[in-house]
This record gives sequence, structure tokens and C-alpha cells, in this order.
Amino acid sequence: MINSSSLADNIYWHYTPNINYSLGLDYQKDKVSNEYFPSARFTYLINRKNTEKSQRNLYFKTGVGLNNSNNHFYSLAGDWETRRFFTSFSVKQSSGAGYDMFEQSAKVGVAPYLGDYGDLHTWLMLQTKKNDLDNKQITYPLLRLFKGGALIEMSYHKKTDWDVHLMYRF
Amino acid sequence: MKNSFLLGLLTLSTAIYAQHHDMDSMHSHEGHIHNEMVDGKNLDVDAQRFDTFMIGIDNNTIAVVSVQGMVCDFCARGIEKTFSKDQRVSKIDVDLASGKVLLAFSGADDIDSADIRKKILNNGLNTTDIQIVGK
Repeated sequence: MINSSSLADNIYWHYTPNINYSLGLDYQKDKVSNEYFPSARFTYLINRKNTEKSQRNLYFKTGVGLNNSNNHFYSLAGDWETRRFFTSFSVKQSSGAGYDMFEQSAKVGVAPYLGDYGDLHTWLMLQTKKNDLDNKQITYPLLRLFKGGALIEMSYHKKTDWDVHLMYRF
Repeated sequence: MKNSFLLGLLTLSTAIYAQHHDMDSMHSHEGHIHNEMVDGKNLDVDAQRFDTFMIGIDNNTIAVVSVQGMVCDFCARGIEKTFSKDQRVSKIDVDLASGKVLLAFSGADDIDSADIRKKILNNGLNTTDIQIVGK
């Protein structure tokens, strides 16, 4: 997984031994402190609810710096989706990278068409973010495309510039 | 002359209709087992999709698996990956719209429903029903 945003660029590999948790390695360039932070990550699925038409998830995520254990974060994230609609939220506390930061974000999305398995799937989304460093809330459109194991998310906001997220699931 | 032409046209159109009707009959009855009763219930599948799936696997046993939570390609991809590792599974079809997974088992007399449920669960999804259609 590769992320590039106004706050950081990072590349992240993770392995999921079973549905309850995943282990990962992250290598991040922090754009605020301009430093590099390799870290180990852990994601735990707190709760999942499947229905015929929907899925809901709640995750706890944490990570700790491999060079300096004072660099760490913990986060709570959730999502609910059907084939047509998507909503998600995330709250994250980061510490040690020269600053502490609390971030909140949420997304809502709609699929303009319902593709079959293996088709190109498209989501039109709206994302809103706020962190306590600049204490300003920004909201912007986001395009998510995925096909097979590949996913790309792209968004643009004049204050944060491009926000790109690439993921491939093996 | 005119009558002969009309008679010829009528004969030809009847022959074409008969041939077309025969083809329809074949399409409706040959190899179509989506109307089968399974455990006293009608087979709960999209008929056209099922028929397409059955092409080339006449001697297979089919498991029609109803899955909860299969709302996106990413969820379904894990299921396909898991069952494709099973050498007895000769064909897989995932239908996101209906939440059904079709599994064709070649040479399988007994299909282990518990194993199917376990594999679906290991992918984070739930099985609500499995209908087995015999050879």
C-alpha cells in the first residue's frame, strides 16, 4: 500500500494471518518534521457484522517506531458499506515524530453503477479531515477505483494538494 | 405462380420456426437443472447465470453457497482464492448481486458443507445456506 498526502508519504506492507488481525511494516516520510520513520503496525478487527446486503467493521490500529519507540500512534476506525453506499470514520493519535497530533476523518461514498465481480468498480466519495495542528476542517471529493486486487484513491484540495492512495491485495 | 411462391414462403417460414423452436426447447430443457428441488426448496439461483456456469462441467456436483457480507470485489476475491486452491473445485462463480458463490466439484460424491462454511468464515464472511446439486 502506498499513500501520499500533505502530511506524509508512506509505503506499507501487511500480512493478515486470519481475519482478526494483521501485522505490517510501514516506512514513512513525515512531511512536517521531514524525517523518515520505519515502524511496525498491528491492526485488530474488534467487530464485524455481515448481513445479506452490508458489512460493518470496527478496527483498532497501532504502530510503533522501529528506531524510536517514542514514535507511535493508535487509532480507531470503522466502516459500513453496501454495494451502493459507503461510510467510514477514523480517529488517530500520533506522538513522538517531533509533534503530537490528533486527526479525525470521515468518508461517505456512492457507487454510480453496480459492477459484477471482476469489473472495474467506481466510488464517488466525499472526505472530511481535521487535525489539531492547524485546527481546520477540510472537505473534498475523492475518486476510488478498483479492479481485481488493485485499488487507487485520488483526491485534490487546494490546501493539502494531491492525496493518493494505491493498494494491491495479493 | 403466385400461389406457389406463397406456399414455398409458408413452408420455409414454418421450417425456420420449427428449427428455432427446437433450439428453444434445447435451451429450456437440456442441461438446465436450475429448476431442481433441493431439500424441498427450489434452487435459489439466477437461472441464466447458473446455466452459463454449467457449460462444460456436466458431471460435476454443484454447491450453491449463500454468503452474507460479500459486498465488494475485495471480499469476494479471498473466497475465489481460497477455493481455487482446492483441487476438487473445478469452477467458481461469484455473484455479488445475489450474494451467491457457485462451486463445481469434480468427482466429489460427498461435499463437506462444514468445510465450505469454515473457509467462507476464514475470509470474514458468513454462510447462511448451502444447496448441493448432484450429478
